[in-house]
Amino acid sequence: MLIFVMRRIGAMVLTMVVVSILLFLLLEYSPGNVATKVLGPYSSEEQRQIWLEEKGYNDPLPLRYLRWLGKAVQGDFGDSIKYKVPVSEVLWPRLGNTAILGAATMAVVIPLALVLGVLAGMREGSGTDRSISVLSIITTSVPEFASAPMLQAFFVFYLALLPGTSSMIGGFNPVELILPVMVLVLYDFGYVTRMTRASMAEVMTTHYIRTAVLKGLPYKMVIMKHALRNALIAPFTVVMLQINWLLSGVIVVEFFFAYKGFGFLILDASLNKDIFLIEACAMVAVFVAVATQALADIGYTYLNPRIRFS
Amino acid sequence: MTKDLKDETGKRIHPYVPELCEQLRKGEVDRREFLRTVCLLGVSAGAAYGMAGRILGEGSPMRSALAEEPKTGGTLRVGMQVQEMTDPATFNWTEPSNQSRHTVEYLTRTGSDNITRPYLAENWEASDDLKTWTFKLRQGVKWSNGDDFNADDVVFNVERWLNPDTGSSNIGLFSNMVEEVDTGKKDDQGNPVMSKRMTEGAVEKVDDRTVRLHLNAPDLSIPENLYNYPTAIVHRRFSEEGGDLSKNPVGTGPYELAEFRVGEVCKLKRRDNYWGDQTFLDEIHYIDLGEDRSAWLAALASKQVDMVWRFDVNQLEVAEGIPGVVVNTAITAQTAVARMQVDKAPFDNKKLRQAIQACVDHNAILQIAYRGKGAPGEDHHVAPIHPEYAELPRLKQDYDKAKQLLKEAGHEGGVTLPIDIGNTTGAWELDAMQAFKQQCAPAGINIELNVMPSSQYWDIWDKTPFGFTSWTHRPLGVMVLNLGYRSGVPWNESHYANPEFDKLLDQATATLDVDARRKLMAKAQKMLQDDAVIIQPLWRAEFTATAEKVKGYEIHPTVYHQFHKVWLA
Repeated sequence: MLIFVMRRIGAMVLTMVVVSILLFLLLEYSPGNVATKVLGPYSSEEQRQIWLEEKGYNDPLPLRYLRWLGKAVQGDFGDSIKYKVPVSEVLWPRLGNTAILGAATMAVVIPLALVLGVLAGMREGSGTDRSISVLSIITTSVPEFASAPMLQAFFVFYLALLPGTSSMIGGFNPVELILPVMVLVLYDFGYVTRMTRASMAEVMTTHYIRTAVLKGLPYKMVIMKHALRNALIAPFTVVMLQINWLLSGVIVVEFFFAYKGFGFLILDASLNKDIFLIEACAMVAVFVAVATQALADIGYTYLNPRIRFS
Repeated sequence: MTKDLKDETGKRIHPYVPELCEQLRKGEVDRREFLRTVCLLGVSAGAAYGMAGRILGEGSPMRSALAEEPKTGGTLRVGMQVQEMTDPATFNWTEPSNQSRHTVEYLTRTGSDNITRPYLAENWEASDDLKTWTFKLRQGVKWSNGDDFNADDVVFNVERWLNPDTGSSNIGLFSNMVEEVDTGKKDDQGNPVMSKRMTEGAVEKVDDRTVRLHLNAPDLSIPENLYNYPTAIVHRRFSEEGGDLSKNPVGTGPYELAEFRVGEVCKLKRRDNYWGDQTFLDEIHYIDLGEDRSAWLAALASKQVDMVWRFDVNQLEVAEGIPGVVVNTAITAQTAVARMQVDKAPFDNKKLRQAIQACVDHNAILQIAYRGKGAPGEDHHVAPIHPEYAELPRLKQDYDKAKQLLKEAGHEGGVTLPIDIGNTTGAWELDAMQAFKQQCAPAGINIELNVMPSSQYWDIWDKTPFGFTSWTHRPLGVMVLNLGYRSGVPWNESHYANPEFDKLLDQATATLDVDARRKLMAKAQKMLQDDAVIIQPLWRAEFTATAEKVKGYEIHPTVYHQFHKVWLA
């Protein structure tokens, strides 16, 4: 097990190194480009040369990469062009905001999807199964950029019940979280439900469930003791992947509701060609992607004795 | 020698004023133009309104006391992008100037009625030849750091604007105060690199409260130029003390910066010891709601903000439908131009440009892209609301002519032209260009629409051979032509260089008499139109929305925020 964990972590680090090299080559291969982006299009050639010399951009590429990596590991990505402050000063609070949004979404999605998925999967083909399946397919097939304006039109303009934007300027306000969470839940719960349902339905057709039913165990106990434990292994992985999806999937929602999170930041950085901010955001996104992946693998192994003991 | 005329306070008045009175009496100028011009010549706004009232035999049109008694207190929350505001002289757009407008002030102030009034300058006089402008500065104005405002501040600012190292667009605006010099450097072709800088002695400190500007050529629009968004007056030690307004916000205005985070919030608090009348708002908050303007209206609908900076024409119905919200509309000289760089192939071929022009039905684009709210463009960038606007025969869509010109241009088989679009003032830009594309197609001109984010467009706006650039409102026609079409000025994005046009512009800029100026402008407009430098589909109206409780707000044609009289019910 330990070796497996070590191997996963090793793979994780390797992936990040490769991505960081690609990212660095993509954005900083040409120093003149960096200088133009940092100093602006109206800077003179002379100013750019001075800046490049000062920042050590005239050194060979590998050296520049290692220096960049060394700083990046310590969390120093340089100054944001748009925000005029060190990248970390914008990045961490924004990441925190997205974590709040993601946690709130997951807090609704996980219980809702598991309950609905189990209910649907318990009796495949029943009326309950059909209704839940249709509902989850419909909600999942409506993209956020469609559901967000629809929900906004209804709750903000028509009912005047909820705040229209979620910029949290007056401090953290849970009410402002409702609409963005609603949009994300609506989009995401159907998918997790479907995965849970499939897993549950599969478990229900296995021999041990049939045996348990035939030996006369109460149905409730069959589900609780035998089916659930096995059926929830697959949804665990799915849920871990949802965390990764949330990080990039929130761009639309955060933009639409002016929620100052990571998605908003990554969009803003790309639109403004805020080069150091893009690098930092990309590295964070990659880290979250590989970390959740590794955690999913490790967790899956731990939960599934057949893998654990083989 | 003209006899010196004096007004009731004994102040010398410009000799042209009586002639203007005569013209108003005869109906040769309208009331608005009369007010505007006499104010420019140093007559106070109150006196000007009085003169107009006496001549036209009407009561004082100055609005009587507001129906409701203004209340002091409260916070006005405005939805607007919060941008960096390091240096007011290098502002590229209106948002940062609105953030700083309540902290740093201007020498003059152009109101929502297009009339320029005294502000930090108490009054001013122009010499008869319009080449020397003397500004008397207001006394008793204190900077927020306790210093007295004086002539050194003004001299410092003017010199700084006109120093090429500052990189301020003001160098084009005050072109009559700069000279071209050889930098001593050579470009790739070995030609000397020329640079523009302030003419020696163009700004003179007469005494502690008097500043005189010496121009190379007559210029009418000096007072109005002094209220352009990059001309805010910063403290005389601005550069020494870091040169960053957001970190060291010293100003003369009624508010001081309390909190500032780019992309999030800009909070201003009323300060004590403001020189002017008491303002009513305790605080002004600018709240960044991102780039999505539908989010702004949603924030207004749910009372998260009291006002949005502006919204797009396609949101008009939504805004009008929100209960408790007032939609404010201003007729403006705001526009966008599909400008072609006349020194880059294939646009260096005038016949090709004229062929494109012949395809366009301006009014149709106005109807499609802006719901007819505004006026059709005429490809010369002088708006019908400009006083010196000369009416030219309307341009007509003519495909036979277009095809003929295209043939003469050597593109008989058709031509494909990519245009960059940044939607910098909203999605209407793309709508307009889509209509434009369709109008060009029958002649064999294939316009390729290359849409990009607005911030990316501002990186290339003056570099792309063919781009659709938005231009903000300016009160005079000569101002925008000086800024955008005079040879070699920084904002001349089309690289149009026509000495004859420059000469006409010089003359027009020096001509106070509106009718005479209009005759010169007719020639300049025609010249620009015939050279087909720009395709200008339309002039647009500007919209903002405010909550009903916001009182005393008047929308400015350039959506500048003037909150001195704004209060909350």
